[in-house]
Amino acid sequence: MTLLAVTGMRKSYGAIRAVDGVSFAVDAGEILGVIGPNGSGKTTLFNAILGQVRPDSGQVQLDGQDVTRLAPLQLARRGVGRTFQTLQVFGKLSVRDNLIAAGQEFVGTPGRRLFTRGDAGLGGRADDMIARFNLGHVAGLEAGSLSYGQQKLVDIAMAFMPSPRLVLLDEPCAGVNPALVEALLELLVRLNHEQGGSFIVIEHNMDFVMRLCSRVLCMAQGAVLAMGSPAAVRADPAVLEAYLGD
Amino acid sequence: MKPWQAGLIVLAAVALWLAPLGLRNAGLYLAALWVVNVIAGMGLNLTVGYAGQISLGQAAFLGIGAYTAGIMAKAGVPYALIVPASASLCFAVGLGLGFPALRLQHHYLAFATLGFNMLCYLVFRNEEWLTGGTFGLNGVPRPELLGMRFGRGAEFFHLSLVILFVMAALMALLLRSPWGRAFAALRDNPIRAESVGINTTFYTLMAFAIGAAYAGVAGALFAPLVGLVEPASFTASISLSMLLMVVVGGSGRFFGPAIGAVVVVLLPEWLRFAADWYLAIFGFAIVVMMVWLPGGLLSLPARLARR
Repeated sequence: MTLLAVTGMRKSYGAIRAVDGVSFAVDAGEILGVIGPNGSGKTTLFNAILGQVRPDSGQVQLDGQDVTRLAPLQLARRGVGRTFQTLQVFGKLSVRDNLIAAGQEFVGTPGRRLFTRGDAGLGGRADDMIARFNLGHVAGLEAGSLSYGQQKLVDIAMAFMPSPRLVLLDEPCAGVNPALVEALLELLVRLNHEQGGSFIVIEHNMDFVMRLCSRVLCMAQGAVLAMGSPAAVRADPAVLEAYLGD
Repeated sequence: MKPWQAGLIVLAAVALWLAPLGLRNAGLYLAALWVVNVIAGMGLNLTVGYAGQISLGQAAFLGIGAYTAGIMAKAGVPYALIVPASASLCFAVGLGLGFPALRLQHHYLAFATLGFNMLCYLVFRNEEWLTGGTFGLNGVPRPELLGMRFGRGAEFFHLSLVILFVMAALMALLLRSPWGRAFAALRDNPIRAESVGINTTFYTLMAFAIGAAYAGVAGALFAPLVGLVEPASFTASISLSMLLMVVVGGSGRFFGPAIGAVVVVLLPEWLRFAADWYLAIFGFAIVVMMVWLPGGLLSLPARLARR
């Protein structure tokens, strides 16, 4: 069953067509990889889907409902989570508070949250995420004081706090050491298996993409160059020429 | 909170309660003025320190609270109604001031709030029929509550202290609730906050409105404390002093305004022996403090521990 359908997405900045008529669909529970050279429009595509930038034209449907141009907040409320290419944690909050902050607005009403327990009943879930992402030894530290790789893990764990239906991950492996990449891969596979959500993953680490994703979409100059199984896309001559090289 | 911290707070509260024993009238007046500033500073600390918005309009809210209290008290309205009325009016006006903050940040927002303060000052000064104009409202009576009159210095100080404790407790509860975390998320990273479902519009408006309501309560104490409500007490430079209070004490630290108010309200008085030089010494002390301790006086223990 299709969870997300993007049709004819376009976004230009002046004369530059950052995203040029991209269409694709993601099934419930599927993990789609998005690859392509730098500047091919991957992040702009994410931002246009997520309401961070206004698309010039095109449509986004979530579960058959038109969600084009909804604000990030409204998409978050509909169960769409994301991580960013650059680090985006709440630097002065502890790791545990970062995770609770990422889930608390999905519990009760604002009025009720004013009179509720400090952790909004999410302490257990936050601790579970901390254990999964192996952040136990830094759970009480300010997130801004952690290493780049650890902050990246916090960022990704935050996206999964409210059990989203769809998560868009923008370069989860960037700046992360190889051992952590392996752990991250296992984590994402397990989260996908257990929570049943769909992921769209922008990533340059081809090994990671090949092992994680069931389908891959390759972009070049704002358009879809190829789409299909990881092996088929990897062998596609156009992809080899534009992105992977010989 | 660790037991020694709780003990320290209780000790400080008891010391404050007993302070009138060693103070004369002028000292009691200054002590009550310190309480007024701490309450207004707590509100500003929520807006600036916890929620990351900048505001140079807190004195305007202090003024709105003081004029509301002055007008109502002179009309014979009971004090039990005056405090919530001042707070509610400031909350409503604070919501309005929150709207520019949805579009503006940093120094742009600072100028917008500064403009708001000047606008309020002009209303206080020019709307004579309501505010008494330049001469202000004279003879605001000291409050009566539950059949007790808080007329004398020590009595009024104790009343203001009780209100301070209640407001501090409410603030602590607010900051420990999920709202407190949402304010911090808004301050640290509004884009990320939106993407995890935190309604930054709502929390920005609330940060301004609740911060303003605290100034409203402070104003409801200021009017009967001074007895005279005049526009000069609510100029933009007073707003700057309040911001200084928050920053010097430690922006985003719970007890920051209490320490900051000591510096801003009491230090100039203690420096009076220096006669004409006192403002210069005060200014120099602030510069040194900001260079050496940009995190405010409450960051001193952590800084010493790092050495």
